[in-house]
Amino acid sequence: MRRRTFLKFSMASLAAAAGSTAGVLGWQPRAHASTIYKTFYITEGFITQVTGEDVYFRGFSSSTSSLNIPGESMIVQEGDTVRITVVNTLGTSHSFVIDGMVDSGTIRGGETRTLVFTARNPGSHLYYDSRNAPYNRLTGLHGGFAVMPQGRSNQLYAGSRTFRQQQFWIFNDIDPAWNNRVRYGYTPNTEYRPRYFTLNGLVGRPPGAPGAMDPALDAMADPRTKLDGHLGDRTLIRCLNPGLGQHAVHTHSNHMEWLTSNSQPRSEVWEKDIVPLDGDGGGVDVIFPFNPPPDAWPVVTNQTLAQAESEGRHFAFPMHLHNEMTQTAGGGLYMFGALTDIYYHAD
Amino acid sequence: MGRRRRSSSGDSTSTDTSMGGGGGDMGGDGGGGGGMGMGACYVYPIRQAEVPALDPDPDVVYRRGIDMTIPMTMDDGRTVNMWGFTDLGAGGGGMGGMGGMGGSGTFPSPAMRVRQGQVVQTQLQVDMMMFHTIHHHGIEPEYRSDGVGHISWDVNGMYTYQWRPMSAGTYFYHCHTNTVLHAEMGMYGALIVDPPDGPGRAFEGGPSYDLEAIWAVDEIDSSWHGLSWEAGTCGGDVGLNELNPDYFIITGVDGAQSALSHPGVAVSMNVGQRLLVRYICAGYLPQQIRFGGLEAEVVASDGRPLPRSFRATQLDAVSAERYDCIIRPTRSGVHTVEIDIKHWITGEVLGTARTRITVN
Repeated sequence: MRRRTFLKFSMASLAAAAGSTAGVLGWQPRAHASTIYKTFYITEGFITQVTGEDVYFRGFSSSTSSLNIPGESMIVQEGDTVRITVVNTLGTSHSFVIDGMVDSGTIRGGETRTLVFTARNPGSHLYYDSRNAPYNRLTGLHGGFAVMPQGRSNQLYAGSRTFRQQQFWIFNDIDPAWNNRVRYGYTPNTEYRPRYFTLNGLVGRPPGAPGAMDPALDAMADPRTKLDGHLGDRTLIRCLNPGLGQHAVHTHSNHMEWLTSNSQPRSEVWEKDIVPLDGDGGGVDVIFPFNPPPDAWPVVTNQTLAQAESEGRHFAFPMHLHNEMTQTAGGGLYMFGALTDIYYHAD
Repeated sequence: MGRRRRSSSGDSTSTDTSMGGGGGDMGGDGGGGGGMGMGACYVYPIRQAEVPALDPDPDVVYRRGIDMTIPMTMDDGRTVNMWGFTDLGAGGGGMGGMGGMGGSGTFPSPAMRVRQGQVVQTQLQVDMMMFHTIHHHGIEPEYRSDGVGHISWDVNGMYTYQWRPMSAGTYFYHCHTNTVLHAEMGMYGALIVDPPDGPGRAFEGGPSYDLEAIWAVDEIDSSWHGLSWEAGTCGGDVGLNELNPDYFIITGVDGAQSALSHPGVAVSMNVGQRLLVRYICAGYLPQQIRFGGLEAEVVASDGRPLPRSFRATQLDAVSAERYDCIIRPTRSGVHTVEIDIKHWITGEVLGTARTRITVN
């Protein structure tokens, strides 16, 4: 069958491709708008899951020979002219959509389309394929797109609480049977039963597991995904959910400052250890403040962190979804799901 | 120690990134990763060299054991086995089934109640060939007191967690080993932090209350309740990606009928009194609570005061969220509080747990 001609990827190759961008995303404001160029190639292939199961995916990839799930994240500035070229290398029709900003319409198989639009609506957005919804999106055709407010380097939107660094957490849930139907051009006809739960395309690899602490494989070590900070390194996390499940995002060690839900700024910022993340394209923005864990005794200081580092100990905590089914893979393997770690470092 | 084996699940189509393809020989470097010869692959024994020194003079000490045989009789007459923590400090002794230390376990596990600023130690005793931890959810201690296996360790034997809560409010504690299973099996209990002056006020500078209710609303999938403690940790499909609940409960009481009148759940109060409802979404699925026509003032969530309270007749919550709500009825009446438990993907209401507020 056609499968032999398909690309087949390990998770390592995916993360390596995506890892060409920075881990923690830096951003310098510009006085003037720029034109931002980006090309996405719609590709397909199989990704071997931690259980050994090969699962079919399609993605907005960085080259014709890669398969990026999710697609590479982008950060632009309000007012920028964005020129995105989408090369559909497949035989099926797809689209490229950012709600409220751009809609390509149908991009037929083999077609190349350049989209030009002005970046607006500062905040966090999903780019995705809206055709055959939600199936194409679930099969991997999605990624993160951030618009920084004009002239600001440390705010989500003008007047928001400030941060020092920022990153994306893009969650997805995967039912291999649905992906397989999409592969053959059919509409899924079974109940949705996700078996894998990813964060930025990866899953956790707990200590002792093959790939553990490999930044190309382990969501707990991937620089795009894990949190690293010194005390006070307030980190904006743009959580997006192209999957269908509603999630409960849970950080240990600090409550999150909950700034937005589904692109809408909240009227007040609540401090939460659980933040609800809607399914089917939902999003929240939170700031992880990197304060000392407030309930530690003795109190934690920079000296505490320096002592841990000198002894080779990781001063770390997890972030995981609290709807714990998402912490599994293939119906078991707890800790091989959508989770990452939060690392405190001494100055 | 420190060696793991691979279960025989599934055929491997082979890439070195998968878990298929035979036994690894990983871990064992002090970084965790190791079965204990108990058939458990991804559990993490204590690294004694890292165990921190404890405060010699704590204000509060809890001693918790394990009970793996806690029968819960449902309103339909069926009995479902639950797991939980025992209160060894209260004389919980004897041997429970399956070798569980305690034998006096309850579901939910005995509550912890401390005051803001107290130094607290939680001793966990696991005298069986298995692992558990205690994670004080929402309490944010040093990492070695956080109770997360892969970050620090899982407990077999005795271990003491130390913490000093600095924000009054509603929390809960639960096991964080093979969490997907252990928390669903019932290994949790309420954790209340009172302000320094003690109960009667939600938090420093916050509203006072005359009586309180702790409603930990949970769903149970009884098909999970025959699994062993390490189910799935070596791989293999044990169905933990799918939760199909058949019981919906409030603080350990079946919400089909019993919780409507159970004295530990249902509330009887007088006009003019102030009731503090500590609502804990203790399951994994989204919930909606409706206060039976009463209006609540929502004053705190997740152990933190809200910048501004708000009034609500219903609230939506996801797993492990907590909301502190003040209800002050102005007239007598009977109010049926309903909590819908919804499918996490479709939003379909799977079941409803009910209790009652009777205002005299």
